[in-house]
Amino acid sequence: MHSSDAAVMEAHWGGGAAPFGASWQKTMMWIFIVTDGLLFSGLLCGYGFLRHISPVPWPRQSEVFSIPFIALMTFILITSSMTMGTAVTAARLGDRSRALRNLSFTIFGGLCFLACQAYEWSHLIHEGARLTRNPWGPPQFAQTFFVLTGFHGSHVLSGLIILTITTIRLSMSKTGAQGVEMAGLYWHFVDLVWVFIFTLFYLL
Amino acid sequence: MSEATGNPYRIYKVTWIILLIITVAMLASEALHMPRWFLIVFLLAFMMVKAAMIGGNFMHLRYEKRSLAAVVAGGLLITSLILYTFLSREFDYIRRHLAG
Repeated sequence: MHSSDAAVMEAHWGGGAAPFGASWQKTMMWIFIVTDGLLFSGLLCGYGFLRHISPVPWPRQSEVFSIPFIALMTFILITSSMTMGTAVTAARLGDRSRALRNLSFTIFGGLCFLACQAYEWSHLIHEGARLTRNPWGPPQFAQTFFVLTGFHGSHVLSGLIILTITTIRLSMSKTGAQGVEMAGLYWHFVDLVWVFIFTLFYLL
Repeated sequence: MSEATGNPYRIYKVTWIILLIITVAMLASEALHMPRWFLIVFLLAFMMVKAAMIGGNFMHLRYEKRSLAAVVAGGLLITSLILYTFLSREFDYIRRHLAG
């Protein structure tokens, strides 16, 4: 192949050093987010499937859960996303103290969310809900509840670990704006997944 | 990017307020006793708006290259729709099987 042809082909198909105009770290984080998003997509589709085929009527969520309490959990997570976004921008602008302060707020929000989830789980278990048993009707209801919120909660927990490590490393100047941005992308993803769980599981 | 000259943190506060307003509207819709089909459309539409705001403003997808946004949003949406469409074709069959 002629060298100029090869250059044209490479320009079209090679992708270059940054095909998405992003660093490799950010590109890898997005690939991870997409694959993790597909996991939740599968779980939510499975939930829809189990709900539709259930021969027993699905319980009304407002009779099982305290919807204002779930709204409080949503408020906490959205607020923590706001502080996370602020931390990312502060880190980018070199305002380290602001970034650290907002990272701490985000960690606090995540801990509050996990505490609320632990309370909700213990309340439902106390009422008799199990992976194979549900006092309000079809066992699939409790099953999908524990699987969906359990997977999400484990993501919140791992997000908190990542945020704590990032905060410590930023305070020691061992990481910079990019490290905070990667942690932020993951945290926002956790918030994004909750939007779907909140609507499809708790409201619809 | 308009935030470059103004307050760079404003976008997060504005997004946060809009997300809270949408969440309250979604919660209030339950109490309005709308027809079921309308409630479903209403909640799904607001869910997508919230997801777009988080992806666009918090995760900065609207400032990234369009190819990245297309791969992330398009890939996830299309895969989910295909998966759900294939599953939904089995609803009636399994329901009949369980009933009979």
